[in-house]
Amino acid sequence: MAKTKQEKLDLKAEKQYYKKHKKKTKFTVGDIIFNIINYAFFGIFTISCIFPFYYLFINTISDNALVRVGAINFIPKGIHFQNYLSLLGAGEIADAFLVSVSRTLIGTSLMVVISALAGYLMTKQELWHRKIWYRFLVITMYFNAGLVPTYLNFLMLGLTENYLVYILPAIVQPYNIILVKTYIESIPAELEESAFIDGASHMKIFREIIWPLSKPILATIAIFGAVGHWNSFMDSILYMSGTPELQTLQHRLYIYLNQTTSLGSLMTGGVSSSTAGAVMEGVMNSKVIKYTISMVTVIPILMVYPFMQRYFEKGIMLGAVKG
Amino acid sequence: MKKVKVQSNGWTDKVYYVTRLGTILGLVMMFFPAANPGYVCNLINKNLSLFTTAISYDSLTTLAMRPMDKGWVDKSSFVTLMVAAAIVCIGIALQAVAGCASLGNLKMKRIGNWFGLGGAAVMCGGMVGLYMAYESFGGSSRPEKVYNIMPNGMYIYAVLAAVLLVANIVIILFQPRPAKGEKCEIATPYKLFLMFLPIIAFVFVFSYLPLWGWRYAFFDYSAGQTLSMDNFVGFKWFTYLFQNEATRGDIMRVLKNTLVMSGLGIATSWIPMAFAIFLTEIKTGWFRRLVQTFTTIPNFISWVLVYAIALAIFSTDGFINSMLTEITGDIHETNYLLSDSGTWFKMLLWGMWKGTGWSAIIYISGISGIDQQLYEAATVDGAGRFQKMWHITVPGLIPTFCVLLLMSVANILSNGMDQYLVFENAKNTGAIEVLDLYVYKIGIGKGLVPLSTVVGMVKTVVSVTLLFLANGVSKLVRGESIM
Repeated sequence: MAKTKQEKLDLKAEKQYYKKHKKKTKFTVGDIIFNIINYAFFGIFTISCIFPFYYLFINTISDNALVRVGAINFIPKGIHFQNYLSLLGAGEIADAFLVSVSRTLIGTSLMVVISALAGYLMTKQELWHRKIWYRFLVITMYFNAGLVPTYLNFLMLGLTENYLVYILPAIVQPYNIILVKTYIESIPAELEESAFIDGASHMKIFREIIWPLSKPILATIAIFGAVGHWNSFMDSILYMSGTPELQTLQHRLYIYLNQTTSLGSLMTGGVSSSTAGAVMEGVMNSKVIKYTISMVTVIPILMVYPFMQRYFEKGIMLGAVKG
Repeated sequence: MKKVKVQSNGWTDKVYYVTRLGTILGLVMMFFPAANPGYVCNLINKNLSLFTTAISYDSLTTLAMRPMDKGWVDKSSFVTLMVAAAIVCIGIALQAVAGCASLGNLKMKRIGNWFGLGGAAVMCGGMVGLYMAYESFGGSSRPEKVYNIMPNGMYIYAVLAAVLLVANIVIILFQPRPAKGEKCEIATPYKLFLMFLPIIAFVFVFSYLPLWGWRYAFFDYSAGQTLSMDNFVGFKWFTYLFQNEATRGDIMRVLKNTLVMSGLGIATSWIPMAFAIFLTEIKTGWFRRLVQTFTTIPNFISWVLVYAIALAIFSTDGFINSMLTEITGDIHETNYLLSDSGTWFKMLLWGMWKGTGWSAIIYISGISGIDQQLYEAATVDGAGRFQKMWHITVPGLIPTFCVLLLMSVANILSNGMDQYLVFENAKNTGAIEVLDLYVYKIGIGKGLVPLSTVVGMVKTVVSVTLLFLANGVSKLVRGESIM
């Protein structure tokens, strides 16, 4: 919609007015006190949110001897990245990292595809007994059989001590399906109808119209799904207690955090080359190992966070619309 | 696309109900250990389903390692059993294909029928194989150690295979032939349904099937046993909860912890709203965005990582202690996490550290939705900063707040266990144990399956009731459902 000349002029005048007006705004003493307190509060809270990550990070890249005596508080000293290299060379952590990454990638992509397909099918009035199936799906959000019956169910299905326990139960997410369904309903129906008249099948419509058009919502659920997969550790604790090589990174971290004794065995046990083992022994103390594993666990989240922030925020708004 | 009409093909369509029902039954029973036709020998794990028998030789022979080494039982018996079980599973899978095809037009049905017939025949063959395995286990050299059992599943599956075979033959014989040149088609409703079917199966297996585990609440069960009328105890465990002194004490303590922590959460649920209101008072754009970005980060890390951070800051060799040591010169080595004072309050603070920034986002966008003219009018009327907040912003956000409040009231019993599991230690265990954590500990830790199932059941029922109550309140007050 093109703006008329008069409208443009009005806008300009308005802007000028506000500019002028703003300059004239005077702060009262109350305003100044309020602002100081307000800025100070948010500043401190923000620092409390970000400083722990910084603290962990500088301790993992500083001289390990200084870290042990607690000399690294604000500024890193003797910067090196050997800790990360050694840790990712250690078998256990590399395995756990691989398990976490693979479950995140596989689990999330399957969940997104299934949510998209199910959401699309749920918008189809023709679907045989659509309403019944929709309720069948939605009701599951409001009840939960409980921890032990779920555990026994997985035991019965042979999913315990099995990698698939990370993937299969999380594929169908009713909440995400509802989100996608709501989104697809907002896509103009004419698009689909015209494709239908041209002889496209449902699968083709889904692939070529629905999927590309619902990418924003799919990106949102993908990010939430990925964060959920990456962070989940209860499933690993519950169902992988007997299979250390399939435990997730979060579970490994939990185990190490609770180990008060020396963590040297992790290094000597996992490192294949003897030189690497020699570097590790005595050099990396338990504090550094704990911090480094924590960083390895948190870095993927911190790295994707800035790019994904708008989707995160969109996600909570979608929840609000629904809630 | 051409719409395909649902066509009727006489009475043989009714026979399909038999085959479809039989197929679903066969499919479901494939995953139930109680109906495993492959449980033909005492050396086989009772908790194996037919499906596991067919795919995992390792779990099939876990109990049979020693007898096999000693030569009491032949390896070939297990192989026969596994192959036979796999054949039965393949037969059922073929039946499933036939069942799906039977939703199509006549041509499609005809093709499906051959799958069905083949599947039924394969199933019968598999049953014969299972019987052979049964026989071979009978011929052991140590009959008192290794003996064969005729499982109930064997009868069920034999009958099922026979019925499916007969039904398929009947259909093939009496169904009218399709017109020449007819193409394979399925009516749209059924086609969409078939696409949706895998999702239904997943939901059934992972959300509804666990409910079957509620039956443990009525049995005197411990791991490895089977359920039978001998150990059926009715409502014993429900009354045990309140009659047994120790359990009652535990439940009371755990309930108190749960309610206090949820209550504290509800009592502070206005804080994200205040956070949002005051954050929007900050007029420096970059600073506001910075605060918003950094305060939401903790929400995206797991509780294990929060605990890692807690250790890094508050443990004996953490930040606080090394700072104090540096400043005062004395050695400070207090582990602030290992204390039993103010556990509830500390947990609340950790929860707030993690969640406030995130929860505020919803209110921030709520504020940007409030009509700016209201503020302008209030300014003209001489309203101050706080008056505008209280009389315009807060009322604008109250509806959102109420919804979230009702949701948290409905979730009062389920405050999750991640946080409390990671922060638990010897000192604070009495005050930190919430209902979910208690269920985990008695169910998984101590193996008290029936008791933990009872607690879980009661919790679920109470939660669902609360949810409906909250929804009712919402409908009454706001005329809107929260579900």
